[in-house]
Amino acid sequence: MRRGVTIRFEGIGKRFGRRVVMRGIAGQARPGSILVLTGPNGSGKSTLLQILAGLIRPTRGEVRYLDGDGEVPREEWRHRIGMAAPALALYEELTAMENLEFCARVRGLEVDGDRLRNGLVAVGLDPDRPTVVGGFSTGMQQRLKLAQAVLHDPDVLLLDEPGANLDPDGQDWLAEFVRGMAEEGRTVVVATNDRDEMTWGTDRVALPG
Amino acid sequence: MWRFLGETMAVFAKDMRCEFRTRVAFNSLALFAVTTLAAVSYTIGPYGIAEADRPYLLGALLWIVVFFAAMAGLDRSFVKEEETHTAPLLRLAARPLVVWGGKLLFNTVTLALLMAILVPLYVVLMGLSVRTPGWFILVLAAGCLALAVTTTIVAAIVARAMSRGALFAVLSVPLLLPLLVFLIQGTRAAIEGRVPDVLAALRAVVSLGGVMTVASAFLFPVVWHD
Amino acid sequence: MTRRDILLGALFLWMAAVIWAAFLWAPAAAGFLGQSSRIVFFHVPTAWVATLSFLVSFIASVQYLRTRDPRWDVRAHASASLGIVFTILATVTGSIFARIMWGSYWNWDPRETSITFLLLIYAAYFALRGAVPDPERKAALAAVYAILAFVTVPFLVFVVPRIYWSLHPDTIINTKGRITMDSRMFRVFMASLAGFTGLAAWLYDLECRIEALRRKAEEEIL
Repeated sequence: MRRGVTIRFEGIGKRFGRRVVMRGIAGQARPGSILVLTGPNGSGKSTLLQILAGLIRPTRGEVRYLDGDGEVPREEWRHRIGMAAPALALYEELTAMENLEFCARVRGLEVDGDRLRNGLVAVGLDPDRPTVVGGFSTGMQQRLKLAQAVLHDPDVLLLDEPGANLDPDGQDWLAEFVRGMAEEGRTVVVATNDRDEMTWGTDRVALPG
Repeated sequence: MWRFLGETMAVFAKDMRCEFRTRVAFNSLALFAVTTLAAVSYTIGPYGIAEADRPYLLGALLWIVVFFAAMAGLDRSFVKEEETHTAPLLRLAARPLVVWGGKLLFNTVTLALLMAILVPLYVVLMGLSVRTPGWFILVLAAGCLALAVTTTIVAAIVARAMSRGALFAVLSVPLLLPLLVFLIQGTRAAIEGRVPDVLAALRAVVSLGGVMTVASAFLFPVVWHD
Repeated sequence: MTRRDILLGALFLWMAAVIWAAFLWAPAAAGFLGQSSRIVFFHVPTAWVATLSFLVSFIASVQYLRTRDPRWDVRAHASASLGIVFTILATVTGSIFARIMWGSYWNWDPRETSITFLLLIYAAYFALRGAVPDPERKAALAAVYAILAFVTVPFLVFVVPRIYWSLHPDTIINTKGRITMDSRMFRVFMASLAGFTGLAAWLYDLECRIEALRRKAEEEIL
């Protein structure tokens, strides 16, 4: 049984040097729902998503992960979060399989060749392709990033512009994929400006420009 | 414990595999080492130094060559993760200590490989004769470990800042200075065959390296996550 | 008048008395060329303050990493700024003394080596601060570096001078634990140590307040 995670964030402010990116942002993402973060370019959607993942420390405010047992400690977050974002690159010198295998090993998962292959097939990639990721198209890289994000069956899925660089078929597949993730009880947060992707949302936080 | 080692090895193996496919760090280390070695050997050679000064000066020169080579390439392991934006993924997936351990292992192996090629060449080109080769190798090995520990944590700091290349040397020098002094003394003593002095220098290198290892292990998570 | 003003006035009078006594009241020490020994009243206290600032900045760095309270970062930064100024002063006064006693400004005497090392650490510390735009990250990385530098210092200060032969006069409380100073000289010397410590405390306080104001001004745009 999946233990759903609620993400609560309050009073988030971030400053890079003298430049203020956001201030006083608050919201909540619940299990089984899709929270959409919108806002014009430069409003800090990607930054907020990285703050939610614990990758960037906010100047102000606090992010908390809550599950049935109370607050999830920071060291546990890495097991619960899956993330795909332009800011999270894959290793260009490695093939798709090698990238996934590395992610699995470093997370301490059992390395099961079939499972990794299935993960690649599920996002529409060929596991036997010998090309390194540096030679992939951006759309293929995006698919691989999604495979990486769900590799460890996370409770929280954080996606930054997930549909960018995907062809129309790919975007349809993506919508299905993300909705499925939420229906299985995951907490999904999507940062996007795409009108279609905004309709996925059950909740929304709009960032001022 | 075994899981920790397994995950550390995963980081190390990944770094090795990436490095063998591009060879950026290996090449810059080797090129720097060979260039300085050629310069030293050309200008000084086996007969350029008076007999009495040989053990001291040759020991010092050896470590200077190693130090410069280290400055040229040992920051790559961390800087590359930031430059190619793969660091956030690693930060999300791995425990901080595992990353530190993997990178430390990678830097140690890189430096050891370099020294395995560089030192014999140096000995031949400079006509160096070592009275106690066993102790000489032990000093080199201890130096390799201590240098790797220090440069690993500095590389981790530098990777999180701007103008990384210049900063790496600026931050490393003060931390490496005492270490280099001890290593030069130990190397000289090993060349001259004075075992008690080798032991004194080794003790200093090991304790400094040990202190650095403990401090790095405690501080690395801060560097990695901020 | 606030308590701060009174303390400041007392410090001013105290330092004036120390300067007068250092040049006119204390005798010149035997075994040193001319009046050169009088520099001890200024050289040693500056070196002492340089070392003290290094210690304060280490403690403040540890505290910052423990509490994440930006005020500790302000303190670490303030004492490091003070440290670099006094390190330069100690280097210059020492170098002048070296020129008179030993005939050259710089000999790589072990103590000269140690202070150069301290100077390098401070320079690296500020280079690092300058290279990190994000304030939280800057504070954390600088704290880590200050701690790493601090743990290597004992090796240089305590081990290296024991190995090398030194021209430097014995430290005041030397290895035998005996005091080798004329009693008048000793009194002026201690008064000067106290005076410089007070001076450093005042400068430190000023620097902390200035830095806090500067940050507050930056905070207000958030």
